[in-house]
Amino acid sequence: MGEQNGLVIEARNLTKVFRDFWHRPKVSAVNGIDLEIKQGEIFGLLGPNGSGKSTTIKMILGLLYPTSGELTVLGKSPRDVAVKAKIGFMPEESYLYKYLTAVEILNFYANLYGLSGTVKTEIVEGLINQVGLTAARNRPIGEFSKGMARRVGLAQCLLNDPDLILLDEPTSGLDPIACREVKDLLLSLAKRGKTILICSHHLADMQDICDRVAILLNGNICTQGSVKDLLVNPDTLRLSLQSPPRETLTAILDYIEKETGHRPLVDHAGRTLESVFIETVTRRQPTT
Amino acid sequence: MTKRFQQFVALTGLALTDLFRQPATFLIILTTIACTILLPLAVSHQLGQQSRLAVDSALAFEFIFGLILAGYAACSTLNNECQSGTILIVFSKPVGRLMFFLAKFTAVSILLIFFVYCSSLSALIAERLTPRNFEFDSFGNYLLFASPLIVFIPAGLLNFRTHRSFVPTALFLYALVLAALVLVLSTVDRDGHHVGFGSMIEWRILSACLMEGIALFLLAAIAISLATRLAAPATVAILLFLLFTGLISDHLAGLLAALPPAGFLVQMILPDIQHFWAADKLADGGVISGSMIGHGVLYALAYGGGVLCLGYAAFRNRQF
Repeated sequence: MGEQNGLVIEARNLTKVFRDFWHRPKVSAVNGIDLEIKQGEIFGLLGPNGSGKSTTIKMILGLLYPTSGELTVLGKSPRDVAVKAKIGFMPEESYLYKYLTAVEILNFYANLYGLSGTVKTEIVEGLINQVGLTAARNRPIGEFSKGMARRVGLAQCLLNDPDLILLDEPTSGLDPIACREVKDLLLSLAKRGKTILICSHHLADMQDICDRVAILLNGNICTQGSVKDLLVNPDTLRLSLQSPPRETLTAILDYIEKETGHRPLVDHAGRTLESVFIETVTRRQPTT
Repeated sequence: MTKRFQQFVALTGLALTDLFRQPATFLIILTTIACTILLPLAVSHQLGQQSRLAVDSALAFEFIFGLILAGYAACSTLNNECQSGTILIVFSKPVGRLMFFLAKFTAVSILLIFFVYCSSLSALIAERLTPRNFEFDSFGNYLLFASPLIVFIPAGLLNFRTHRSFVPTALFLYALVLAALVLVLSTVDRDGHHVGFGSMIEWRILSACLMEGIALFLLAAIAISLATRLAAPATVAILLFLLFTGLISDHLAGLLAALPPAGFLVQMILPDIQHFWAADKLADGGVISGSMIGHGVLYALAYGGGVLCLGYAAFRNRQF
């Protein structure tokens, strides 16, 4: 089980039951899920609030212990401290020390990875620039907006150049441009062979970047598969073409109706609001 | 520097930074200094035995405020980190729970060493400035009442000019000012005339303060162990219970002697705090022997070590 078969995360019948003070079962957060995440893929865990996404991530990190079932991360138990040297984690909230500056907090986490000297300085400065916090590098985190704190959270997650990246709501609190940057960054990391597991209920973001997704509901996986397979509707075909003259279009539609018995729907190809926003803002404000 | 040592230093350093910038830490230490120095000035001329009152009250303040500081600091650095969620990111790094637990304990211990340093110097100053035969030490009192200005004005200016945090700056300045005050008072008599170094200071008090410092180390071990599961109010309440029962542990064991298992258990479980209460030994010119301090250190190491093992066992399987 584990890394030998190319699986970075492997869960079998994974269950987590929270108990009360008297050790009686209180909430069953995860109910016997099976999960296989391969190296280099971006896997999305989707689901409404309270569906068990964060609990699953915490079990993968060894912060919560499974009630039953098997779980291996990079071929080892998630409670193995050595495994964590290859993992990066960005939690849902920005759980950061608010009295430290961005540079101080990244230096602190870098020390926990045993980084030192010029290597540490280069990595920290590089990440500060990469997440766009150069101007705010010496301000205390407590003065940051939620989006800026999320950027620090992302930077600390990448300090060790991890093989496995766990992200809980990574785009929450970010503006559309930062959101696009984060998605582009994750896609480039996946191209470098990094495995990424994302928990989110921002479905558009997940659709943009995930290779495969699983939908969790009440601690159960309801659907699992590749995004392409899940989104495709095999009974319907979409045909895109440059707007033809009106007579030509009418002729085409008439022909299709005659051949299939159904009059096809016609509308203009749309753009997403995200692309319109990014284009508008970058045009007026070339640098952020 | 090995990776593990680097992690330990980083964790301890961050915990210390956090503890020293807490206003509550500042208030507890400042209150201890103020009560220790000012109470004998206020009441001793009415009661007689001025010097002994100054020493006894100083040691009592060190015990009570030290205990509150130990409980508060342990919960602030460990339990609050669990509650606020910052521990989630720390434990997503290759950091073992034992190292994290010991780093937090080390930080609380260093804070308590700083506290004992301040309260010990305050005790020396209090004893030195105690009125004798209804006469106040005017020279010493002028210096004493000028000390807050020497501390707070520079700390405030530094905060204004450089945004340096006020609380730790003021704390460290106060520590320096206390040392300077002791040095000055140890070279002059009550009229401000120069005398041989240290002849006007009761240095014996330091050994009693050291004994209490060892007891606070033991209480810090209990506090950090309790903080793995409990918040500050519960932790401080349990510490107070242990302090008061610990001060009468021999008496309790004697009462329960008729029930051998109960008496034995009381002696085993309750910390023998009265071993560290050395105020009576200082009375009438007595001194605290090296063997008594050594015995105290061994007892605190054995008891504290045992408690830390139990604390780690409680922390090791905690889920976040």
